[in-house]
Amino acid sequence: MPGPMTGVRVLEVAQYTFVPAAGAVLADWGAEVVKIEHAERGDAQRGIVKMLGNDAYSAGSSFVPMMEGPNRGKRSVGLALDNPAARPVLEELIRRSDVFLTNYLPSARAKLGIDADDIRAINPDIVYVRGSGFGARGPEADKGGYDSTAFWARGGSADGVTLPGADRLSRMPSGAYGDSMGGMTIAGGIAAALYRRATTGETSIVDVSLLGVGAWATQSNVNLALMAGGPIPAKVRPKHGSVSNPLSGSYRTSDDRWIELTMLQPGKYWPEFCALAGRPELVTNERFDTTAKIMANAAEASELVAEIIAGETFAHWCEVLSRGAGQWAAVQDAWEVGQDPSLRANGLIVPVTDAEGNGRELVTNPVQFDEAPPSLTRAPQFAEHTDDVLRELGLTDDELIALKIAGAAT
Amino acid sequence: MKARVGQTLASTVDATTVIVVRWPDADLDVTCGGAPMVDPKGPEAGTSGSADPGQQAGTLLGKRYAAPDLGVELLCTKPGAGTLAVAGEALPIKSATPLPASD
Repeated sequence: MPGPMTGVRVLEVAQYTFVPAAGAVLADWGAEVVKIEHAERGDAQRGIVKMLGNDAYSAGSSFVPMMEGPNRGKRSVGLALDNPAARPVLEELIRRSDVFLTNYLPSARAKLGIDADDIRAINPDIVYVRGSGFGARGPEADKGGYDSTAFWARGGSADGVTLPGADRLSRMPSGAYGDSMGGMTIAGGIAAALYRRATTGETSIVDVSLLGVGAWATQSNVNLALMAGGPIPAKVRPKHGSVSNPLSGSYRTSDDRWIELTMLQPGKYWPEFCALAGRPELVTNERFDTTAKIMANAAEASELVAEIIAGETFAHWCEVLSRGAGQWAAVQDAWEVGQDPSLRANGLIVPVTDAEGNGRELVTNPVQFDEAPPSLTRAPQFAEHTDDVLRELGLTDDELIALKIAGAAT
Repeated sequence: MKARVGQTLASTVDATTVIVVRWPDADLDVTCGGAPMVDPKGPEAGTSGSADPGQQAGTLLGKRYAAPDLGVELLCTKPGAGTLAVAGEALPIKSATPLPASD
């Protein structure tokens, strides 16, 4: 079945990951997305050579995961928005689009004539979508941001994951971590705006900021602080387990891997864990033979659990714990996530063919429709589809060449 | 050849034509399919060269071919089978030139 956004045309004037990722989600859902790239430099994302210290590019391959994630399924048009010769093309693209998606700062939008009023004057029904660092209003409306600044640092996550006394701040666990969640958020907003437009004829301006997404992610703590009327005290969890539950915490295995236990009802799961661990005597031990005692003696119980888990390998515990009903998880690295049997069983890691014809794989967006994974097309090379798209707009080859000679298109 | 910006150059071995978008203040050999390109309105118009079978990578309409080190950029206005080359070096399709960035 075609995706739910089939027939929706999205025009994207955006760079990096946050807002382009929204275009990628919409493309996964079936929308036709045209990405406008700077006529000479392309999306600034193409210039990122390292991501969290890892090489972004692989020699001899056009497949760049950092571009593929937020840009798969799109067509790329190289257009010089600051060149008046490009304007008629841009306006025609605006006229035929349902959604205009941008993360250009207000000053740049005004200069390029792509602010909401400019776009609405050409297409009054278009859904106008702005992704920003710190919101469309307020003192920082014209300030640029990345997820590490607006989402991670300002949004409370960096503070939340850094242990008191640490000699360094914890950084985002993966490149584009906040951007990827932010892009998904924007896509949801666009879906709601399109629903309103379809049912009432009213269109919308949709705003999503990385700061807003960051605060939404940490709202459990932020809301507590708001209620308390001040900072909430930093709590250092015990090394093993939690203050009142030995089966809620992370434990190291004999081969230096981690197992996360989150069995929130210790009374219910203590007997099961002890049986699986081959220590049935701990169930009837007088320190742990009621729920109240397990919770009261959690520190002692947690030390025992730590010893037990440390006595066997990661593979052993994965096998043993999988036989129980209690909630636990293997702590996986990026490679293991990509091989996760449940992700694969649900079609959330999907094949894509790169420009050289090699089979690759990508994580798909987490929303699945009609029990079928989306079929993905690789991200475009820089300005790969300029000619195709401009011909679709009715330009002749001579007009196309004239735009290129003028430096208006690439 | 000392080409000027805006000038059209034609292949002598196939249908390829290009427009000169950038050219340095220098005399450089420009070839298509291994044979010198000519000014289609100049005295050499219509001459026919012999194609080098090793230089047949072809060109695509509307694509820019560039040697940034030489300061040369050509825009293909009619595609053909021959490889564009300047000063003996094949010209690749011009790629994006984003500002280097690092996380």
